[in-house]
Amino acid sequence: MFAQQDTASTLFSSMDEVVVTASKTATKLGNVTSPISIITKKNIQQAGSLRLKDILQEQAGLSITNGFGAGIQMQGLNPDYTLILLNGAPLVGRTAGVLDLNRIGITNIKKIEIVKGPSSSLYGSEAMAGVINIITDNTSEKKIQFGARYGFGNPNLGWSSPLAKNVFKNSDLNFLLITKYKKATFNFSSNAFYVDAISFRPYSSERLTQPIWRFTNQLSISAPINDKNNFTFLVRNGYDQIKQNFAVNNIGEVSTSYGKETNNDLNINSTYKHSFNENIKSSLNVYATFYRGYQKLNFSNKPDSSYIDEFRQNLYRAENQNDFKFKNMLVTIGAGFIVDQAYSTRYDNVESKKQNQILYAFAQHEWTLSKKLIFTTGVRYDHNKIFAAAFSPKFSFRYIANKAVTIKGSIGRGFKAPDFRQLYLNFTNNAAGGYSVLGSIDAVKIIQQMQTLGQLSEIKDDYNKLNNLKPEFSTGINIGGTVFFNKNIQLDFNGFRNDIEGLIDVRQVATKVNGAQIFSYINIKNAFTQGLEFDLKFKATKTISVSTGYQFLQTADKDELTNIKAGKVYTRNADGTSRILLNNEYMGLANRSKHMGNVKISYENKHGLFINTRLIYKSSWYVGDRDGNGLLNTNDEKGEGYFLINFAAGKTINKKLNINIGMDNVSNYQDVNYLPNLSGRMTYLSINYTLK
Amino acid sequence: MKKSTLGILAIAALIFNACKNDETNNVVVNPNDYNVAVSGKIVTVKNLPADTIVGVGAMGPYGAGKYTFFSLGTNSKIASTDSATSNWDLAFAGNTIRINNGTSGPGNGGAFVYVGTFDGLTTIPADSTFRIDNAPNYAITKGSGKGWYNYDGPTNLLTAIPGRVLVIRTANGKYAKVEILNYYKGNTTPLSTASDNVKIYDSRYYSFRYTYQADGTTTF
Repeated sequence: MFAQQDTASTLFSSMDEVVVTASKTATKLGNVTSPISIITKKNIQQAGSLRLKDILQEQAGLSITNGFGAGIQMQGLNPDYTLILLNGAPLVGRTAGVLDLNRIGITNIKKIEIVKGPSSSLYGSEAMAGVINIITDNTSEKKIQFGARYGFGNPNLGWSSPLAKNVFKNSDLNFLLITKYKKATFNFSSNAFYVDAISFRPYSSERLTQPIWRFTNQLSISAPINDKNNFTFLVRNGYDQIKQNFAVNNIGEVSTSYGKETNNDLNINSTYKHSFNENIKSSLNVYATFYRGYQKLNFSNKPDSSYIDEFRQNLYRAENQNDFKFKNMLVTIGAGFIVDQAYSTRYDNVESKKQNQILYAFAQHEWTLSKKLIFTTGVRYDHNKIFAAAFSPKFSFRYIANKAVTIKGSIGRGFKAPDFRQLYLNFTNNAAGGYSVLGSIDAVKIIQQMQTLGQLSEIKDDYNKLNNLKPEFSTGINIGGTVFFNKNIQLDFNGFRNDIEGLIDVRQVATKVNGAQIFSYINIKNAFTQGLEFDLKFKATKTISVSTGYQFLQTADKDELTNIKAGKVYTRNADGTSRILLNNEYMGLANRSKHMGNVKISYENKHGLFINTRLIYKSSWYVGDRDGNGLLNTNDEKGEGYFLINFAAGKTINKKLNINIGMDNVSNYQDVNYLPNLSGRMTYLSINYTLK
Repeated sequence: MKKSTLGILAIAALIFNACKNDETNNVVVNPNDYNVAVSGKIVTVKNLPADTIVGVGAMGPYGAGKYTFFSLGTNSKIASTDSATSNWDLAFAGNTIRINNGTSGPGNGGAFVYVGTFDGLTTIPADSTFRIDNAPNYAITKGSGKGWYNYDGPTNLLTAIPGRVLVIRTANGKYAKVEILNYYKGNTTPLSTASDNVKIYDSRYYSFRYTYQADGTTTF
């Protein structure tokens, strides 16, 4: 399956490889004007990755965040600002803005394309930091494939026998069938994944295991009707079940909380493509996705009551896109309509439907002035039913300076519309002091009501800013390129800067009579992220290659920075006494590592043997204010920087049998407080068998 | 005459405390114990309990409802039986700090929160307005981000804001500057990941430092 290629072809993506995410049209990689990277099926297999999180955490410049599942931080922006697509259509079901990357199985996909920088000019909301597009397999070669994997580890001991007691396990079963009926290709795959998910019991160093089952079933049909008409259809379902059974210590009172959590994702995507002639192509895409997350917990000390948390989101989209070629220009014009609906126990009433409708149109002009120079100009307009419209232009170019050097640049606007949570959340934490977080629309209603009933002791100035929540906007600039020092050394580099306006943040808007705080969402912050990224690939010999990636990142809340520069912000010395905070002590936005990098050394020969070691580094990241100045600086609470080492090796025999072994987190690195979901060392063996 | 007597008393008190301090230097002071240390003009108080938590009820954690009274002139706690006298200057309970005047006591106290460093405040600005307690509004403003502290509901932590000085007029009309260092036992704020138990039961232990000007001037 992945034995016969020379290593160079996996190390260096061919400039002729066709990619689709950057321009929404099939474009040769070498002609793409925005920063793009590709993770191939082979990359995924050789890293032993099963879930989307596994492979993304090994990419330079992408950081996995903890909290509400595994989220992705791209160009220093929160998970809310990266759009995640499946064959070009958005995945939904975010919790607090985070789409849990563990929900997405990547065993049966073709590749993942990652476009960095604002892409709202094509994709609309959420495509502020960039876009991750998971592309399912559409090969037409008939085959049947079976795969099984078993992994184990013991986080407390480090080394362990797979049969030992208290061993943590994960296992994965995979089935793939590709068959043909007349001209149509049917690609069916099924995957079952089990993990003794390891997490730490909150506020203790004890671990608990939550048995998690994840199932993915996927059917794609590709039916070329004739030369001019093509129909593709995809249905994919992901179902997760997480069992919970753990002791909760609520201020001295210990009880057991047990129950289960389920996530159910359904995506249905059909596309009809018609070529009028060589130069005019049209497509119609109809997409529907349904997500339901449900959690029910019971408590041993309160047998009569249970806690139910439910969130449902349905999104329907119809989109038409037309591509016109005139001489050296490609014009793309499209329009679409989205209906987005949500229901949640976290809102006022689980039965009440929250709905938004978006009507949008986009256009893009790709102008190939010469073989060397390509200009792309795009614009999209999103008309929103419940908040302000968004206008997202983007301009980019690619210039081939000489045989060795290619330069790319882009400037674009990105936006993220307020999500349902920011508008309708109605959450009170009775366990922790009774503070409430309210969506901005509900907050006004509820606070006015409480005021009338005399339940408030104070209304803050920020309350007056609540009325009209607007989308968050950003301007992103990327300048970079590729340098081939010789045919064995390739350097990709990119500098970026994102300026974000009206970032929505949680602010206290009122205080209850009992002193509990009421928070809501306000467009209040202006922030920036900027950095430099490079990726160096070096083919040392015919069989050995080394690749390294690095990202330097700086972030800041602009108001905080202004106050620090004006000498208005103080910090504390070790003895608790105050002094003025210095500029260079400011650490910017929370949960950002200034330095991130990876090194991958791999060996691969013609006989189907591969061995690789991947080293991943993240420098420390700040999580909480300790000195009381309300922002993050060098003497605040942080997670310590760390290295992870992953190892894998495999051999393909007779093109049919493939055996892989691997070890993730070789050094058994663990951090109870700040990396609660990082399991210790895990060893695995996987076997795949292909029938053709 | 009266002034100088008080001055002598204050100096005596300083010397007395300095001696006491020298003595305690030989003993290992438990970092979680109440302790008063004098170093030059600066007096540092550690772990002054302020109506510490005795239980958790339906409305959240609660204390016994008793203020701790403190005299800046004598560097010592004052018995609560003296609450109706001018013997105390500051009274602590939870995140409320009272001054001896208005609705809180019979003294001539007053206060305001100054933005800047403790060392940088050498003279109280002439245009300063001293506020007096008028419950539930206090001279030393309460509320997250309004006076001397920030409170974060989600992490349930109260942190003293650096660069805030409580400028105090004492019960007897003298002046002092006070910097709150910490609100938790051991002069250390718990980590955000600490348990609720720690965050609740370690709270309401004030550490602060101050300089008291016994001569009645506004210069420190």
